[in-house]
Amino acid sequence: MIKEGKFGTAEATYLITLVIASKTFYTSIRVMIKNTGTAAWYMTLVSCLVSIIFFLLISLVMKRFPGKNLVDIFQLVTGRFFGKILTLVFSAYYVYYAGSSLREFLEMIKAYNLPYTPPSLIIFAFMAVVIILAYIGLESIARLASVSFYPIFIGIALILFLAYPYYNVRAIFPIGGYGIEETIKSGFFRSSAYDEVIILAFIINSIDGVKTFKKVGIYSILISGVAVVFTCLCNIMAFDYTMASENVSDLFQLARVIYFSRFFQRIESIFLFIWIIASLITVGLAFYIAISIFCKAFKISNHRPLILQFAFLTFMVTLLPEGLIELAKINIVVMREYSMIIIYGIPILVLIISVIFGKRGDRQCLKSVK
Amino acid sequence: MLKVSKIIVLLITFVYILTGCTTDSKNIDDQAYAIMVGIDKGVENKIRLTVQFPTYKGGGNGSSSGAGGGGGGSEEKESGQIGGTVVTSIECSTVLEGINLLSTSTTRHISLFHCKAIIFSEQLAYEGINFYLSDFARFRETRRIATIGVCRGKAEDYIMENKTLIGENISKSIELSFAQSKNSGLFPLVGFTNFYKSTISPYSQAYSVYMGINNFKKLENENKGQNPPLKTDEQYYPGEVPKKGNKKQEMIGTAVFNGDKLTGTLNADETRYFLMIVNEFKHGILTVEDKKHPGMAIPFDLRPGRKSDIKVRFDKSTPVIDINLNIEADIVGIQSGMHYESLDKIKELNGLLKGCIEDEVRKTVEKVQKQMGTDIFGFGYYAASKFLTIDDFEKYNWVSHFIDAKINVSVYTNVRRTGLMAESMPVRYRTKTAK
Repeated sequence: MIKEGKFGTAEATYLITLVIASKTFYTSIRVMIKNTGTAAWYMTLVSCLVSIIFFLLISLVMKRFPGKNLVDIFQLVTGRFFGKILTLVFSAYYVYYAGSSLREFLEMIKAYNLPYTPPSLIIFAFMAVVIILAYIGLESIARLASVSFYPIFIGIALILFLAYPYYNVRAIFPIGGYGIEETIKSGFFRSSAYDEVIILAFIINSIDGVKTFKKVGIYSILISGVAVVFTCLCNIMAFDYTMASENVSDLFQLARVIYFSRFFQRIESIFLFIWIIASLITVGLAFYIAISIFCKAFKISNHRPLILQFAFLTFMVTLLPEGLIELAKINIVVMREYSMIIIYGIPILVLIISVIFGKRGDRQCLKSVK
Repeated sequence: MLKVSKIIVLLITFVYILTGCTTDSKNIDDQAYAIMVGIDKGVENKIRLTVQFPTYKGGGNGSSSGAGGGGGGSEEKESGQIGGTVVTSIECSTVLEGINLLSTSTTRHISLFHCKAIIFSEQLAYEGINFYLSDFARFRETRRIATIGVCRGKAEDYIMENKTLIGENISKSIELSFAQSKNSGLFPLVGFTNFYKSTISPYSQAYSVYMGINNFKKLENENKGQNPPLKTDEQYYPGEVPKKGNKKQEMIGTAVFNGDKLTGTLNADETRYFLMIVNEFKHGILTVEDKKHPGMAIPFDLRPGRKSDIKVRFDKSTPVIDINLNIEADIVGIQSGMHYESLDKIKELNGLLKGCIEDEVRKTVEKVQKQMGTDIFGFGYYAASKFLTIDDFEKYNWVSHFIDAKINVSVYTNVRRTGLMAESMPVRYRTKTAK
């Protein structure tokens, strides 16, 4: 079995929180404000709540099979064949996720910073780091996340704080946005934006079992939820719901307009620094998880020989969208609005099957935990 | 050996990437940074674009030595060299195409990264400027912090007069001149972000600084033999201030927009009261006539005591807006020498000031509301809290109802301090000789 190392509750929380909250750098905030207007900031709380409910349901699955990760559970409940198919669905999804996230990063960096640099050069440079991250493994990615967590969150807080001269609190009205129905509907589907929390179910053996799993999951959703709420609020207050629906990246735009005096302006370099690190961790983890899941399904003990193959697949996914429009209308919508159907749906389906057929972890499972 | 070769390959790869061997690497020195961009209505194409950028000569920052505007040699004048900068104009269909065309006669890439101001001519502003704004909003080189201005007359002429008389750095000079808004309270300072936001906002409409050229013709040179009257009002528009010397450029008043079209202007006085309502008034001198001594003035240094308190309610579907202003003042002069520093007299001064400000604020709001039919005060933000959803608010169409709104103005004034003098002593022998 693949050896992934061990890390603590805090490191796991930092890792998952970073991956979820990194969406604030991208087009997510714009889409949320476009769909729900002034209600975007509390719509994401609905998403948090839905995610926590689904996550608790998934934790029931994990509780029934102590000591087993989700790949093992799929095989125990649905049999080896269907288990492998379900596992491959997740592996494929994370390749898609890594490729699409990388493409989103590429499109943004081309829009804001490097418009004439060949995309392939950016992809190669980025993928080189991602490959190194995958090569050194999960534990190292978690350690990197724990080191980067505070600089990234302090950076976001700094940008949001320094832009305060643009804020008009009254821009959050009309408080209902485009209506409560639209808010709840969007909130429900946008819970997909928090579904990276499922990664914990695949690496449960690195984080000391179900109790930690539950704690880390809920903390991660809540902390990243707070980050998204504040980013949304600040962007609505700074740009109104109208202009905030126009910007490619609202947070980047906010960083670009900070101006205090002749000596204190143009501080988006802070943004660039934290944005790139957060993106690397996000894509790096998704890429690693795709390989890790594959290895677990086929009982491959060493993930390193698969890195180049998966890197090629990710590269292919990155090149799939024609441009920013296609990426935003297809890939990002799939990832942040509909992925919950697979990510939460499959484990819950497995839970139902296991309950119906009375399947649960055996004594050996318990022993392996003890 | 294999390890060493791997390291060499890696190093070469990273040297290639890290040294920025890409098409996006640009040396700072390879670019000409536009500091001011002006857009006028074109003659044979849509617009006439004027761009000013420093030449990095004579101190490197756009020194005012040399040409000094119109004073340079004819060759310099022809090439548009103005006080250490180059001013160039071109007719084109769009702003960015114009800049692209200018590259054919410029030795360096013209960059908008450090553009301090975007100026539209009044004529163009009346026709709508969103076509040009959206270019700037979309283009990555513009940072959306440039100041937006509307020029009385041609933007090209205004930029031709853009030079520094104090200090050598023209960029610093431009930024500091805009910062004068905080010292005088006679013109607003609006950045691209807030201006553009207001053109597409359902809450509030856009406004910008009103600017122009003063040819020093308003200053009468001859005394007509009469004692001049005391004029405390400052109903000046750009180019109308009676002055001589200093820069010809003048920023005074406010350009008022409805959507992206200019609908009218506010003079210096009106701008001061407008800024008080929108909490942009930092401080400024207001001179009031001493009622007890007609012809004598009492100048006050005004500043906001608190942020303006605005409430919007609805009487059926008609909005009722209550504006409460809290203004603090320091006496900075009493020409009559009257002892206004006593408790009861201070109350009189408070009353005088309150009446004056209240009256002018009311007139200013009414002018914008009735004559221009636009809400540059942002009352829509307050009204929005009375609606549950965006659809309801947009359907109500705030601006169309604002025209009929009932406005109540209340000003609280507090003369806090009396400058460096605690008491005024009268001049003793003004009318008779001392014995």
